[in-house]
Amino acid sequence: MLAARGLGRRYRGVVALEGVDVDLGAGESVALIGPNGAGKTTLLTILAGVTRATTGGVEWAGGAVRTVGWVPQRPALYQRLTPRENLRLFAGLEKAPDPDALADELIARADLGAFADRPAATLSTGTIQRLNLAIALAGRPSVLLLDEPTATLSPDQRHRLWEWLGTLREEGMALLFSTQSVDEAMRRADRMLVLTGGRLLFSGTSQEMVSAHGIGAGADAEAAELAFMRLVAPGEGDT
Amino acid sequence: MRSAALLLRKDLRLLARTPAVLLILIVFPLLVATLVALALQSDERRPDVAVVNLDTSGRSVAVGEQRLSIDDYIARLSEDVDVRPLGAEEAAAALEDGRVSAVLTIPAGFISDLQSGVRQPSLTLDASRRSPIEADAIVRNLEAAVYRLNQRLAVGYVDQVLRLVDLVVNGGELGFFGRTGDALGLRNSRVLVTGVQERLRADGQVAAADDLDPLVNFIDETQRNLDLAKPAANAIRAPIVLEVSESAEGREPLSAFGFAGALLVSLGLAGVLLAAAAMSAEREDQVLVRLGRGLVSAWTLVAEKMVFTALACLVVGLTLLAGVAAFTSVAVGRWPLWLAALALAGLAFGAFGVLAGALARETRTALLVALMLALPLLALGLLPDAAVASAISQVVPFGPAFEAFQTLLVEPTVPAGDFTTTLGHLALLAAVFGAAAAAVVRRRSAA
Repeated sequence: MLAARGLGRRYRGVVALEGVDVDLGAGESVALIGPNGAGKTTLLTILAGVTRATTGGVEWAGGAVRTVGWVPQRPALYQRLTPRENLRLFAGLEKAPDPDALADELIARADLGAFADRPAATLSTGTIQRLNLAIALAGRPSVLLLDEPTATLSPDQRHRLWEWLGTLREEGMALLFSTQSVDEAMRRADRMLVLTGGRLLFSGTSQEMVSAHGIGAGADAEAAELAFMRLVAPGEGDT
Repeated sequence: MRSAALLLRKDLRLLARTPAVLLILIVFPLLVATLVALALQSDERRPDVAVVNLDTSGRSVAVGEQRLSIDDYIARLSEDVDVRPLGAEEAAAALEDGRVSAVLTIPAGFISDLQSGVRQPSLTLDASRRSPIEADAIVRNLEAAVYRLNQRLAVGYVDQVLRLVDLVVNGGELGFFGRTGDALGLRNSRVLVTGVQERLRADGQVAAADDLDPLVNFIDETQRNLDLAKPAANAIRAPIVLEVSESAEGREPLSAFGFAGALLVSLGLAGVLLAAAAMSAEREDQVLVRLGRGLVSAWTLVAEKMVFTALACLVVGLTLLAGVAAFTSVAVGRWPLWLAALALAGLAFGAFGVLAGALARETRTALLVALMLALPLLALGLLPDAAVASAISQVVPFGPAFEAFQTLLVEPTVPAGDFTTTLGHLALLAAVFGAAAAAVVRRRSAA
């Protein structure tokens, strides 16, 4: 559904991303994990068509970036409009045949019914994030790119969001999300991409990551975290 | 096109949802328009002028049917300036301190010189050099006052001359220019001379009577010529008569220049600030990254903000024009041309504001940047006669917008070619600033 080869990006001579390959299949969930400044957001914005890659290229399903839904870390929506008005507007901009009907459908799916006609600025962080995700779905994408979608959410808000994302996966939508939590990556993704310093260090399941570092059998959260630390900062995780 | 229409509807909805902004959009231009109009009404201002009276004779001069004294003269000056009677030293100090804008000195013997009819009295004006514009206005005011007084004096003197002519023709009591006595007059002289001729002829002295014929001819000829003096004198005392009709009651005087300036400042500020706020709000809401993914092109977004600003400028501008047409003496008409001028000025102000809004990271900064750019450039737009100011104001929308507003308010007939050029200039600036804004938005969307 999405394939990228040799992606690179430089900002005024500074390497933000270098030689990264990404493949994403239908219904697959992939976690992008790495420390701050690893290049996660840069990679996601290139895949979302927001930032242009300095090297390499992306192939979107159907050849159009619009098949990709983009959920930026900071909600990208009109704060003084209501969720319903935001969804109608973006559905219209996405050239939906019936923007009002699509907005109603997304309000129901995002469980925004109780807040649909209140200005977005007055809503809780979790509700705003659901609206942010609903807007990304207005273009009926087949791939969803999410930049640290749960970073600012409480545990119950996080759970609610993952429930919805799980439903979308079951419908065949591919997910690529960035996170700083190894635990979240293990539980919510089929495989992980570990990025640091703009380079892709690892691509595989958490079990493969653990065994690759000889930490032992199984893949509990602690072992995975230790393996991750050895990957991104060799020597610092051996205590 | 559909995307732009959707965004325009969104912006109008947000504007309607913000009563404070709506109120500011209406009240602010009205307030600014009033202040600027008052500030630019230079011809309505009355400067303070110290009058030093050195003619203490207390005399007065007869002018026609009236008598004119120094006090009368000062009272008439008060029609044009605020008069402050002061002593010479006090007046000089007041001028130095800036308490008065000029000192007018009435010299000793002013009335007696006036009364003589042969010596020309003079006044001395010492205007402050601190403000050349104000000094120029005072000189013009006092020139007008002296002109009006001269006019009254000329009328009086001509009346006196005509009465003298009448005395020469018809005879009577002499009382002009300080002289008294009886005058015989040409008519009486003729009666006397022809009586003498008749008596001489009756006495048989025909030759002596005939010798007096040239005198009778002279009297007749002089009388005929003096009969022409009256219309000639009237023509001399008022070669051109200006008839001024008063405007309808209930209207306040307001100069077209003042209103054009007020319109420029209010629309310029409102347009630039509105466009800057609308553009920066897109950035502040983080929406540019979403729109920039092929939903809306940078140029479409900028054009939408320009149209949004133009609509607001049209509403505000037409409201101000309607108010001025209803309550002031400024003639407002040619509405289709006004629509074109306001729309193009709104588009250009919008493009300028969108550029400021795109450059700033958030709304408050955008408004500050827009205000700091717009205020000095607006001021330059109001000074089209200064060479450097004129050059700068022509590369921003304020100069041509002011030209267009002034043309529509001041010119009795709008020169088609010049006006089209001005509108074309505005359209060009809208396109240039719009393109610059689109380039910045494109960069910001990808950031």
